[in-house]
Amino acid sequence: MPDVEVNYDDLNTVAKLQNTPRYHDLMKKVDEAIESGVPATMAKLSEDDPEYQLIVECNTLSVDIDNEIGVIHNYIRDKYRLKFPELESLVQHPIDYARVVKRIGNEMDLTLVDLEGVLPSATIMVVSVTASTTNGKPLAEEVLQKTLDACDRALDLDESKKKVLNFVESRMAFIAPNLSAILGSAVAAKLMGTAGGLSALSKMPACNVQILGVKKKNSAGFSSATLNPHTGFIFHSEIVQGSPPSLRTRAARLVSGKSTLAARVDATMGDRLGQTGRAFREEIQKKIEKWQEPPPPKQPKPLPVPDSDPKKKRGGRRLRKMKERYAMTDMRKLANRMSFNIPEESSLGDGLGEGYGMLGQAGSGKLRISAGPSKLSTKVKKFKEKKYGSSGATSGLTSSLAFTPVQGIELSNPSAQAALLGSGTQSTYFSETGSFSKIKKIV
Amino acid sequence: MALLGLSTLTHKQDVDAMIRDTLDKVLVLRFGRATDPVCMQLDETLGKSSRELSKFASIALVDVDAQEIQVYLHYFDITLIPATVFFFNSQHMKMDSGTPDHTKWIGAFHSKQDFIDVVETIYKGAMRGKLIVNCPLPADRVPKFELLYKDI
Repeated sequence: MPDVEVNYDDLNTVAKLQNTPRYHDLMKKVDEAIESGVPATMAKLSEDDPEYQLIVECNTLSVDIDNEIGVIHNYIRDKYRLKFPELESLVQHPIDYARVVKRIGNEMDLTLVDLEGVLPSATIMVVSVTASTTNGKPLAEEVLQKTLDACDRALDLDESKKKVLNFVESRMAFIAPNLSAILGSAVAAKLMGTAGGLSALSKMPACNVQILGVKKKNSAGFSSATLNPHTGFIFHSEIVQGSPPSLRTRAARLVSGKSTLAARVDATMGDRLGQTGRAFREEIQKKIEKWQEPPPPKQPKPLPVPDSDPKKKRGGRRLRKMKERYAMTDMRKLANRMSFNIPEESSLGDGLGEGYGMLGQAGSGKLRISAGPSKLSTKVKKFKEKKYGSSGATSGLTSSLAFTPVQGIELSNPSAQAALLGSGTQSTYFSETGSFSKIKKIV
Repeated sequence: MALLGLSTLTHKQDVDAMIRDTLDKVLVLRFGRATDPVCMQLDETLGKSSRELSKFASIALVDVDAQEIQVYLHYFDITLIPATVFFFNSQHMKMDSGTPDHTKWIGAFHSKQDFIDVVETIYKGAMRGKLIVNCPLPADRVPKFELLYKDI
């Protein structure tokens, strides 16, 4: 639709910020303030102070600039897609993208383009390789011009944002004394900038503050396994990086908690001198030192008092089954008993050796003593016999696998069952696996 | 002695207090001299195991050369050094280890574990109300000595 195209084709309709008077006014004020230098009077920045207002506005401006840069990035990307579609997935950061586009321009052969200083060397390599196989076509002259204009805009905005942030950083000690006492003015300024103001920062929970500034770079081909999780501004601040590597995550959590509290103090102007912040910083340092202490030496434990804890007797079916193995058998019971006036037989004869007692005595009413099934035992399944159907007389070289022409390899041997009954030498009368020997069809 | 963590007693009141005040724990009193080599070996065994047995036994060393202690030497008939006497709740515990003298243990222990076994046996027997227990150690682990009878 031509109407829509016209609307999005023109940069000015999309990226409006730079044309607003507000932007120009603020940039002018910032330049003046930077030139005038640090105010002579320490602290005492109240809410009505124009300088404080300026700083608050600078914060909102930096957020707006970020949004604007995002919009321009989309614009550049849409235009440049025809030329080099893969570039947007290789270079995610909007400012880097703009710089690369500016350097490449309409060039088809990337060996003539020098990307040094714009991108890390690994990325340059990937970009050059992708560019040689890209299916993009050179842009028309006016499209190219618009794209380059947009790149310039983006870079300008980036410069102004840097200026604004520098200004905020220099005034940080007066805006948020407690927060900058813990983290230092640079990191504090970055946090405030990303959050979009001191009050916005104070409303965030500490876990979010810890994550501020984390870069979500997942460029194609690079593994994300080595990237540290949750490493935002706070993780890279001086106080956390000063601790040993194993304790850094813990320290980051601690610092973000305390700095959130400090930000809240600053947002409500509770402590203008920064004493709370300094107290927090000392507390943090003390805690980190405490974590590094070696654990107390292990004292050998004294022995427990003998017979103090009664032995835990276990019960249940399993124990009873175990006991059955050592229980008194009927045979042994009979051997232990003797009947009156009847001499017992003994193993070595004539009273020598073990006595047999009532075992095997005539008239004892029992022909034979056998072990008998115990009350608790389950019948032991002859697993292999039932499953694989081997009669047990096969040689060791046979396998249960049978190669049938129809189905290939089968696990159970169907001919084994036939072999069971087939061999006439083995009697099937007492066999456990055998079945009827003669099956006669009744007509 | 200080290194071992065991207190050395030289006064009669101390020994009396010790015997009286150790409740529900086996009291091990070693009678000997710190300079005697066998005594030193025994002292080391006692010292090393004192913490492990701390829940049911307390150990103290009595210096045999002190003036006030001679009464005890006479009472317990201690002639050979070192001699270890066991008490439980102020009751003198005897142990039959195959030696002629059941009232005390003469000499050092072969190992720390032997000593721990002996103390445990005494404790168990005492808790059951026995006044004499059988020694759990085999005969070769028990130091042999000759009992000299004077003027008989």
